[in-house]
Amino acid sequence: MTPADLWPRIEPLLNRVERPSRYVDREWGACHSGDAEYRAVLVYPDTYEIGQANQAIAILYAILNTLPDVAAERAYLPWADMSALMREAAIPLFSLESCAPLGGFDLVGITLPYELSYSNVLETLDLADIPLRAVDRGEGDPLVIGGGPCAFNPEPVAAFFDAILIGEGEEALVEIVAAHRSAKARGASRGETLRQLSQVAGVYVPSLYVERRADGIFAGVEAIGGAPTVVVKRVVADFDALEPPTCGVVPFMDVVHDRFGIEVLRGCTRGCRFCQAGMVYRPVRERTPDSIMRAAVAGLACTGYDEISLTSLSTTDHSQLEEVLRRLSRRLAGSGVSVSLPSLRVDSFGVEMARLVAGGGKKSGLTFAPEAGTQRMRDVVNKNVSEDDLLGAVQRAFEAGWRRVKLYFMIGLPTETDSDVVGIGELVTRVLAVAKAATPPNARGSVRIAVSVSTFIPKAHTPFQWEPQIPLAEVRRRQTLLRESMPRKGVELHWHDSDVSFLEGVMARGGREIADVIETAWRAGARFDAWTECFSLQTWLDALANNGVDPSAVANRERLVDEPLPWDHLSAGLDRGFLVAERERALVATVTPDCSFEGCTGCEVCDELAVEIRLAGDSRG
Amino acid sequence: MKSAMNLRSRFVWRVIRVANGEFRLRIHYHKAGRLRWLSHLEVLHALERAVRRAGLAYAVTQGFSPHMKVAFGPALPVGTAGDNEYYDVWLTRYTEASEVLSSLRDSTPHDLAPLGAKYVGDSEPSLGAAITIAVYRVTVAGEESTSSQVRMALESLVGLGSLTVQRKGKDKVFDLARSLPKEACVSEKDGRSEVEIVVRMGPEGSLRPEVLVSQALSHASLDATVSHTTRTDTFIETTEGNWARPV
Repeated sequence: MTPADLWPRIEPLLNRVERPSRYVDREWGACHSGDAEYRAVLVYPDTYEIGQANQAIAILYAILNTLPDVAAERAYLPWADMSALMREAAIPLFSLESCAPLGGFDLVGITLPYELSYSNVLETLDLADIPLRAVDRGEGDPLVIGGGPCAFNPEPVAAFFDAILIGEGEEALVEIVAAHRSAKARGASRGETLRQLSQVAGVYVPSLYVERRADGIFAGVEAIGGAPTVVVKRVVADFDALEPPTCGVVPFMDVVHDRFGIEVLRGCTRGCRFCQAGMVYRPVRERTPDSIMRAAVAGLACTGYDEISLTSLSTTDHSQLEEVLRRLSRRLAGSGVSVSLPSLRVDSFGVEMARLVAGGGKKSGLTFAPEAGTQRMRDVVNKNVSEDDLLGAVQRAFEAGWRRVKLYFMIGLPTETDSDVVGIGELVTRVLAVAKAATPPNARGSVRIAVSVSTFIPKAHTPFQWEPQIPLAEVRRRQTLLRESMPRKGVELHWHDSDVSFLEGVMARGGREIADVIETAWRAGARFDAWTECFSLQTWLDALANNGVDPSAVANRERLVDEPLPWDHLSAGLDRGFLVAERERALVATVTPDCSFEGCTGCEVCDELAVEIRLAGDSRG
Repeated sequence: MKSAMNLRSRFVWRVIRVANGEFRLRIHYHKAGRLRWLSHLEVLHALERAVRRAGLAYAVTQGFSPHMKVAFGPALPVGTAGDNEYYDVWLTRYTEASEVLSSLRDSTPHDLAPLGAKYVGDSEPSLGAAITIAVYRVTVAGEESTSSQVRMALESLVGLGSLTVQRKGKDKVFDLARSLPKEACVSEKDGRSEVEIVVRMGPEGSLRPEVLVSQALSHASLDATVSHTTRTDTFIETTEGNWARPV
């Protein structure tokens, strides 16, 4: 069946909206597979410029479009000006490639990139005329499937999804599509289809799990109808064998991360205890320098980008990074194509790698994440970085000609005292002194240290999942304390909005009771919460109150270690005993080494998932 | 004899350019279809990427932040199509223009496709400065959009002699006699009026033809709006007052 093409109705709206290129499609690399037998649309629940560069969607888009008789398209949430005009003209949310209504697809995949996108998930479904709750969907409605970082505690949004994939999608999504197609071919009902999907490893079908309560208190989630008791995340064992997409969509619009990105490694085993990504994406699997070079050459030729980015959770930890960068700079010499690295390892090796990348050219700024101001605090979070490492890196950077570094810190970490907060200011003072001393006197006026401070938010599947988040008033007190301890001149201080962090904390560890809150807030106008100008804490506080949910009981309460948690039926492969032990070590400021280089630390991911650490070389850097 | 002469003239021509090591190739392209919704900056990035995908030996600027040596003609606004647009790209290696054109065709989105390519002398002025005449086709649709209605509306507005346009909160006054070197021509097609307007562009800002037409329509209280704008041609005005195409 040829899907309806909404373009003739959309085009007349374009001279009335901002940035029409968000909606026109026709980018280089977009796949127009026509009317395939099975049609999927991959949605990023934010605007085009935020979502276009998402690597997960690019990977899955490429994979699905190579399957026979399958077409994958993309959709993004229109900005408020466009959605208002669309509602006025009764135009439903459309895919870019065929300009077809989302409701007509077989599968609608929505990524969950951050907690603050949850109101946008509802806006997406509503604009698409798809019933918000899975339970209200009928036989003619598409399957709505979630995935992405927030899938590791999807309970707040579970009611809005027919199924949620936990973990990596390269292999799993192909199996999901196959299961759905065979169910369709058999004429299976929606219920049967979902039961079938629950048998695909890594797929969580929320309607097949019920919440148990004892005396009104949450007592765990139980599988029904033959669904697995615990859904274990999917992981690609042979990451290097996966061909990264090299002919992806090249946007017209100036989007975030507008460059050719190649994922050089997956996972990170440094073991920072606050970091959810470091816990849930284990084990470390590296691409070899040969694979990286092949993809880089093919990707630049196919996309025409003038910048290539080596992406991962911790790129400077790639065991063969130096070789990769040397080969890349030889290859790209004289082409005007630059290489970029995300944040750097906090030591002089990191700076050496940045020097290799910058060559004699522009030195725009380096980013380091010491996370905490005192050694005790860094030991608590297992950030295996010393003050000497940081000062050495800064000295090296300013000697090499950089004039600006950016430092990431967190406040509100477990066991933090006022002296740890003041310690951030003191550390920045020393960083500034080192930076100035390493800069020629006539250039010292331009030395800048950008300091970005966020509030710690405990996340599921981390050793800190039982910890309380510090209350809003306390966040503000510590921010004041920090501001007073920070040098004024030469330092640019930025905060994460404490209101936003509070809501994020509620979403991060909330259970199914949060679904009603999200729907109430969305009905009251909440959307684009990640956009500062759109966020209103009051809308959310009202929604929480209207649904009888005490947000501080979710965000600011310390959990008992043996208390059931809303995500206990979902596993990242980590042993609970490992998380408990890591928490105990944290509380006495004892560090744990990186298992990729110094022996197993007992998280059990490799055994549980039958995978192993795969390094391209045998040492770090 | 004839072929020998051709060979000789081509040889000389090549040597001239080898002298400074760069070959300035002028690409003639269009901005059409859905891609009329791109901004000038978006078109520029898209075409630079097309040059890289085509594998051309493009020259790179020297300095702190090296980038492709390329220069564009006057900007087209978001929503305005262009039938005859141009950019110059400097190459470090001489390749037959037809060969370059064919690889660019394969590497450029269809709605920004290249239509022609020709080497030009390095001493020629930049496209941005040289192109001062632009021809537009503005399509008008609505209940009151017959060609006579639109023609009268335009004549009445142009008769005022000047047009004040608000731009970024400031009033900008255009001298219509100077901005409009030719009388507008109105015709009817498929029940819509098409206005052909020639605009003289200047460094101090150029009159946007769709704004002129919109103001004429509202000035005459006609129930009609501009539906499409296309820049159909661009010209270089010579010192003798002749108009010449950039290639």
